[in-house]
Amino acid sequence: MTDRHHSDPEVPRPEGPYPPTEAMLSEPVPEALQAEQRRQLAAAWDAPKGWRYWTAVNNSEVGVWYALTAFFFMLCAGVMALMIRVQLAVPENDLISADLFNQLFTMHGSGMMFLFAVPMFEAISILMLPGLLGARDMPFPRLSAYGFWCFVIGGVFVLGAILFNAAPKAGWFMYPPLATEEEGVGSDIWLLGLSFIEVASIAAAVELIVGTLKCRPPGMRVNTMPLYAWYVMVVGGMILFAFPPLIAGDFLFELQRSFDWPFFDPARGGDPMLWQHLFWIFGHPEVYIVFLPSIAIAAMVVPTVAQRPIFGYSWIVLSAVGTGFISFGLWVHHMFTTGLPALSLGFFSAASEAVVIPTGIQLFCFVATLIAGRVKMTPPMLWIAGALAVFTTGGLTGVMVAVAPFDFQAHDGYFIVAHLHYVLFGGMVFPVIGGIYYFFPFIAKKQLSARLSRWSFWLIFSGTNICYFPMHLTGLTGMPRRIYTYPDGLGWGWLNMISTLGAFAIAAGFLVFAYDLLRPKGGQGQVARNPWNAGTLEWTHDIPEAKWGVRSIPFVRSRYPLWDEPKLVERMDAGRYYLPDSPEQKRETLITSVIDARPIQVQEVTGPTWVTLWAAGFTGGAFIFPTFHWYGPAMVSAAFAVVTILYWLWTSTARPPRHEMREAGLGLRLPTYASGPAAVGWWAVWITMLGDATGFASVVFGFFFYWTASDFPPAGSPLAAGWPAAGAALAYLASWGLTLGARMLNRGERSGAAMACLALAPLLAVLGAGALILSVLHLEPASHVYPAILWAIMVWCVTHTIPGVIMQLYCLAGILFGKLRPRHDADLWNSTLFWHFLLLTALVSAAVIGLAPRLL
Amino acid sequence: MARLTALLLPLLLLLAGCSGRQSALGPGGADAQVLAVLFFVMLGGAVVLWLFMNGLFYWATRRSPSAHSEKGSFLLIVIGGILFPTVVLAALLSYGLAILPDQRAPGDGLTVAVRGEQWWWRVEYWPEGAEAPIRTANEIRLPVGARTEFRLDSHRVIHSFWVPALGGKMDMFPGRETRMSLEPVRPGLYRGQCAEFCGESHAWMAFEVEAMEPAAFDAWLAHEASDARPPEGAEAQRGAALFAAQGCGACHAVRGTEAVGQVGPDLTHVGSRHSLGAGRLGMAQEDLMRWIRDPAAFKPGAEMPAYDHLSEAQLSDLATYLRGLQ
Amino acid sequence: MTDDATDDAPRHQEEQKAFAEEADSLLAITIAPLIWCAHFLVCYCGVAIYCAKWQQAFSLGVLRAGLIGATVLALAGIALIGWFAFRRWDVRTSGDWVHERGISEDRHRFLGHAAFLLALISFIAVCYVTLPLIFIGSCA
Repeated sequence: MTDRHHSDPEVPRPEGPYPPTEAMLSEPVPEALQAEQRRQLAAAWDAPKGWRYWTAVNNSEVGVWYALTAFFFMLCAGVMALMIRVQLAVPENDLISADLFNQLFTMHGSGMMFLFAVPMFEAISILMLPGLLGARDMPFPRLSAYGFWCFVIGGVFVLGAILFNAAPKAGWFMYPPLATEEEGVGSDIWLLGLSFIEVASIAAAVELIVGTLKCRPPGMRVNTMPLYAWYVMVVGGMILFAFPPLIAGDFLFELQRSFDWPFFDPARGGDPMLWQHLFWIFGHPEVYIVFLPSIAIAAMVVPTVAQRPIFGYSWIVLSAVGTGFISFGLWVHHMFTTGLPALSLGFFSAASEAVVIPTGIQLFCFVATLIAGRVKMTPPMLWIAGALAVFTTGGLTGVMVAVAPFDFQAHDGYFIVAHLHYVLFGGMVFPVIGGIYYFFPFIAKKQLSARLSRWSFWLIFSGTNICYFPMHLTGLTGMPRRIYTYPDGLGWGWLNMISTLGAFAIAAGFLVFAYDLLRPKGGQGQVARNPWNAGTLEWTHDIPEAKWGVRSIPFVRSRYPLWDEPKLVERMDAGRYYLPDSPEQKRETLITSVIDARPIQVQEVTGPTWVTLWAAGFTGGAFIFPTFHWYGPAMVSAAFAVVTILYWLWTSTARPPRHEMREAGLGLRLPTYASGPAAVGWWAVWITMLGDATGFASVVFGFFFYWTASDFPPAGSPLAAGWPAAGAALAYLASWGLTLGARMLNRGERSGAAMACLALAPLLAVLGAGALILSVLHLEPASHVYPAILWAIMVWCVTHTIPGVIMQLYCLAGILFGKLRPRHDADLWNSTLFWHFLLLTALVSAAVIGLAPRLL
Repeated sequence: MARLTALLLPLLLLLAGCSGRQSALGPGGADAQVLAVLFFVMLGGAVVLWLFMNGLFYWATRRSPSAHSEKGSFLLIVIGGILFPTVVLAALLSYGLAILPDQRAPGDGLTVAVRGEQWWWRVEYWPEGAEAPIRTANEIRLPVGARTEFRLDSHRVIHSFWVPALGGKMDMFPGRETRMSLEPVRPGLYRGQCAEFCGESHAWMAFEVEAMEPAAFDAWLAHEASDARPPEGAEAQRGAALFAAQGCGACHAVRGTEAVGQVGPDLTHVGSRHSLGAGRLGMAQEDLMRWIRDPAAFKPGAEMPAYDHLSEAQLSDLATYLRGLQ
Repeated sequence: MTDDATDDAPRHQEEQKAFAEEADSLLAITIAPLIWCAHFLVCYCGVAIYCAKWQQAFSLGVLRAGLIGATVLALAGIALIGWFAFRRWDVRTSGDWVHERGISEDRHRFLGHAAFLLALISFIAVCYVTLPLIFIGSCA
């Protein structure tokens, strides 16, 4: 860590007793005070009414919208699957044209992965995580809302394309050259629309990681976190490293489609394999990004059902972390038939088998918990049991296809279709539905029907097996994937007919489930507060619903506080714990330390606003207009997006507080402002930039990939100008130094000097960007992949300079208008952190552009 | 391995009987046999493990806990979760790695170069030492008992070359050559198909593979190298004239005639092939007529234009001529 | 609840101290898998670059021997991490397999336990990734 606080005696720090003693906790709270506290909290957390309802940012609202939207997109993609199945039911069917069929399977895959599986994880996590952690809300509610609106806009745009017969049709994997050569806007819709959604996914991942690390209740150390939180942390981390390679791939791909820079065109030195690498470096971890959160749901349901703590908590943590790592070593098993050296295939085959071990451990931990407990079969448990039966089938066929030679037969055939659907139904659909049955009383304060659950379970369970089991045989008897029809006489007809019937059984099951989910439940009366007798904090929720999340934030000392501390709920309700009130009627939550969750700050969180909707709309425009080559409107839209986001940040984040300290309850006084590593915003920037650096690394990887794959740089090709590249490096270094200097000077109460630095720094940054452009300006990017990749690195770096400059000017304005003061300098800390990464990007860019081709 | 094969062979033959000629479970090639055995071994293991895992789960949800539960549970995780899978997976991985190099074995002499087109196959035979290839399209014949090497690439987009009954698949890239080899062990007619999604008519990019006894193969190859047979009979001669007049030769080559086009499939011996349009139709008179009248009706997106301005009689003449190109 | 009151009290510069703890605990659990990552990348990149560029320069046997050497180093590193973690876990003296209490000692042991298990998995995974080096001897 380069960023450390200097010993600054003026920085306020927590004061008062901690941890609370039993005597403090057993002291009653006067009734009148309780009533006043409840009134204050209700006023602070009240949800907006009427048409302003859509300005809400509470996790309890946004999470529900998010989940329902993802569910709706799933139904759309499911209808596409039914159309596919109808077309394939009999040989030589001409019901659906080849062109439409190709759009359908492309959108079915893309929709299920990008618009359902990952967003559903984010939705459920946004909805549940604050409850599981006894927190009021996520740390950045407006960011959740922004992410949600981006998701809606992007999802409708991408999925809606099929209504205009303009959807992408090159498969969800979008392999070039097929996808680069495809005429029409289909490929652009996929690239830009889904990049937009990926950005939203990363935003959600950042928020979930920070939420897990910094918003736990006091006393909830890493060894007592609910397992779901562990999984959220691992999956958030995986999103951070898995999505950026795809975004980098999209970036190169769209540059080829828009400007004919030949990254994937072999005639000009490009290589379609680079896309396959970048896509699957994303694509395989993606499977685990989908699978792990669902296992996390099972890890919450199983102990409740067994009525005992989970067996092998450490083992499950090991599995989650281990799977997270190893899943990044599997990507080439999607490329076993591309003619890579057998030795390379062997490494990925080995890692693909190794990842089975942590996955298996999780299942054995569940079984062990059930053996050691007294099991009560509840509707959620039925779904988890079904998940196990279905998932083990998919897991075992996964072990088979990980054996490279067998994959030579199975790859791109229906055996794989069977395998992946078994994995995704068992590893995602069943546990998620189980989770919805389990958490529904928390989410909606109503119960779903046990009878309808059984109906939908048996329909979906039998449908899954009827539909997908025969596909193993269909595939081994030679049927390839993604064919819109097939001739008679190859023995595939009856198998496909059975699969189609199964698909309709699944659809019927989903109809029953959707009915159960959406039917009016007004007559049901009040549900029990903890209907499954679970041990985790979400079941301390208020019934009827209160928008404040938790009445007071508890002090926790075990993994299952509801089982271990009988007085917990009573004390929470009485407001005996932390933050029981909100004297200024502000929305606040408690920030605790990473490892041991010691309380360190009271953080004000943002409330309802239209600004997130506007920002999402303009960001959407910036992504969507280029699809149609409307670059002017796209620029304008991007500029508006920047202005909106700046307004949002300026008006609601990191403002100097009215009071430095706040009574947090139980005698504890906590600071209300933090900057640097103590602030959640700083963590968010740090985590975001980690993902951003991964994206940049992927582009640089492209450069070295071309170097291994061919004669690169081609003999006799002109080099980038060396001196401008070196000058760019120096200018960026100077701009970074001034930014860092401004932060230190500002801390030292020398605001004038800090402002001078912040005025000079953007000039140097622009100078650096200009020099970088100059270094490659004489190269012709459309001529060959070598100049093209240098241009791409330059574009990446220059594009990142824009927010860098905006941040410097933002801080300058902050000092000028008194928003940023010597001790209230969070913005400056965050900008400096951004600049650390920007400097790294600039130095690497300058080295790769100016130096590497001279050395290779 | 040999004993295992002997053990499983009856089962394989049974499946071969009920599965089609595009089946990986009805192997007619050495590689496919090895992979089929591999599959059945893994299938057996998978069935046992599935029953064990789900049986255990079912039992765990039905029993009531006893004093030994904790310790037993711990042992279950250590043995079932770590020890057992580590050993089993290492064995399976070694098995797979051991057979991997053979799947890429070099050929015995004959090389076949196949280029993927949208949506058909350009085929060139390069016998050992040959200086010029023997060109054909959309059908591959191979000698039984010898390993033939394939050099694969593609014209525009990625395809994948797959004859399930003979062996695994290999992708075909524009601008980069990939290699594989096949060794048929049973004479017969098999079917191959493109396995990588390659655009609108991906579904109709197939081909017939005939595995022949070596002597028959050599005779066939010698004949395939010869020029096209001149048209016999009035109908065929009218068809040949029509072929020239309609400009078919701009795209198609018929060696020994003025037709030298390289855009579409070589038609020198098209009449001797088992299928038309890359596995789309048969080679009957009616098939040829339907195809020429409107190829896109059978293969959406096909580049060959429709010849629906020709009369039935003209189409019939053309078909007769082409069928005669034995 | 007062057993470790001093240990739990909010401290000056809480975040810096938490970071310091993290350095030897939360991050420590990822070291073994990171060694696996590094070993995997060295093997994969080594073979990819060798087969694309250096086949004429030296024989594959040399590369295989070098990579197996890397395996030995990686396994030694992981074993060392595992040993430290095992001592931190301290299961033999404490007899505690669960570490479920909300006290520093349990958190400490839990992180040791998790790091030990991750070292175990990483060890197995490195062994697996070495198997192809033993079985396959060509770039084909």
